[in-house]
Amino acid sequence: MFKSYRKKSPWILHYNAGSCNGCDIEILACLGPKYDIERFGILNSGNPKQSDILLVTGPVTYRSRERLVELYAQMAEPKVVVAVGACTCTGGVFRGMCNVEGGVDRYLPVDVYVPGCAASPEQIIDGVIQGLAALEAKTKAIEEPKRLFGGLHETLFFTSRRHMRQRLPHAED
Amino acid sequence: MKQSISIPLGSQHIALLEPVRFRFETHNETIVGVEADVGYVHRGVERACTSRFEFKQIPAVVARVCGLCAITHSLSYTLAVEQLVSTEVSRRAQYLRTLMVELDRLHSHLLCLAHTAENAGYEALFMQIMGDRELIMELQERITGNRVQFDFVCIGGVHRDVDAACAKAILDGLATFEPKLEALEELFETNWTLSLKYKGIGAISKEDAAIFNALGPLARAAGLRTDVRAEQSVLPYQEVGFEMVVEEGGDIYARNRVRLREMRQSMAMVRNILEGLPEGELQAKVKGKPEGESIMRLEAPRGELFYYLRGNKTATLERMRIKTPTFSGIPAMVKIFKGQEYGDVPAILASFDPCMSCTAK
Repeated sequence: MFKSYRKKSPWILHYNAGSCNGCDIEILACLGPKYDIERFGILNSGNPKQSDILLVTGPVTYRSRERLVELYAQMAEPKVVVAVGACTCTGGVFRGMCNVEGGVDRYLPVDVYVPGCAASPEQIIDGVIQGLAALEAKTKAIEEPKRLFGGLHETLFFTSRRHMRQRLPHAED
Repeated sequence: MKQSISIPLGSQHIALLEPVRFRFETHNETIVGVEADVGYVHRGVERACTSRFEFKQIPAVVARVCGLCAITHSLSYTLAVEQLVSTEVSRRAQYLRTLMVELDRLHSHLLCLAHTAENAGYEALFMQIMGDRELIMELQERITGNRVQFDFVCIGGVHRDVDAACAKAILDGLATFEPKLEALEELFETNWTLSLKYKGIGAISKEDAAIFNALGPLARAAGLRTDVRAEQSVLPYQEVGFEMVVEEGGDIYARNRVRLREMRQSMAMVRNILEGLPEGELQAKVKGKPEGESIMRLEAPRGELFYYLRGNKTATLERMRIKTPTFSGIPAMVKIFKGQEYGDVPAILASFDPCMSCTAK
């Protein structure tokens, strides 16, 4: 059940790991009426525990890396990381500066890279939509062992009311 | 018995665009103490500019200090380095630079107003202002080729020209934007919900603003007459009809009023620039290496931006120092927070328009 909701309405968590605000204001522009990512059901959530997609901007700085990994760890599986902007992908112009780690993929497994300085709203939307495909693949991968051992069928069977009603006389046997 | 609760806000929060951490000490929801931690986005730009990059590359590097006032950063650096290598910039290039700075101020102020409205719980107004802001973003894209982070300024001039068709597009865009700005002004002045929310909240007196060295709209809303555009003459502000905007009160309402009136000013200036755009070369040749010291101040959307450079006749600078408006404004912010309700914190914070990328560099 959650699977279908997640596909129709993924919630994003946005964290600025040291960017120049250029990509952040473009993400804000995505939430505005012209680019309006809410028409895809995408909501900006501040809570990592409710979010499915982590949008990271900026080369990871020495001080923000700990917060970034913490936020990622707090998100529930399945989760997707989208790196927004040139400096998030590789370090960009900040690569090799004294306090910069050079790209978010040194700390987190990144699913989608969105290039550009600053990444334009169209590119960000494309990246998030590609992230949705990665999210679906991850959901399937999580369900795989359960499906193998019949666990998923059992769970779905018991959570559905109609099936429970069918199941009840059977339980009396 | 007094008991105070300490509430952390940040470094990740839905109301914050950037990582900054505040720790509020509260008595019954009233804030009595504030600690601010702004260093999460420190990237070491100053040090890299004096070791990794040559002086001709630095305009593109310092533009990445901040995405909102990128043009002001690269322009301040460029003007300072032009003093060192003694390059004469044509009047047309100066006018085009002023044009882009004022367009940048327009979109930055609109973003701040939108963010304030959102954090005060007025989501519909956020949407409306973000929609209006896109008009300005389209103009910027038309002139420079990029929405944000346009590297428009280079040492000796500018990269792109504004031709007659582009000038007409800008004037048309501003004509479309003007009635929307009027509607916004009316909304911010007369809307009962907004004025009730914003009046008297987050106020600072004129004396305190002067003591704590507030800059930009924060100071001008409190009645301080401080604006670099009136003091310096490297950009032709006196010729394009600049007037200082000062309000009384120092609260969120006054800050919004200052921003709205400044936007009207910027629009008038952009029109004047396009009317009297002089002819001339776009770029001048740069000869020699920077030698000596220079200081440059410019008015960013948030206040005074300060650059100090020292060169020793090599391609790499010897010392560079950036002082940004938010950095000077932090003591005033801490002062304003004391005595306010905790529930008003996001709206007050957004109305300062703080820029942590600038501050931490």
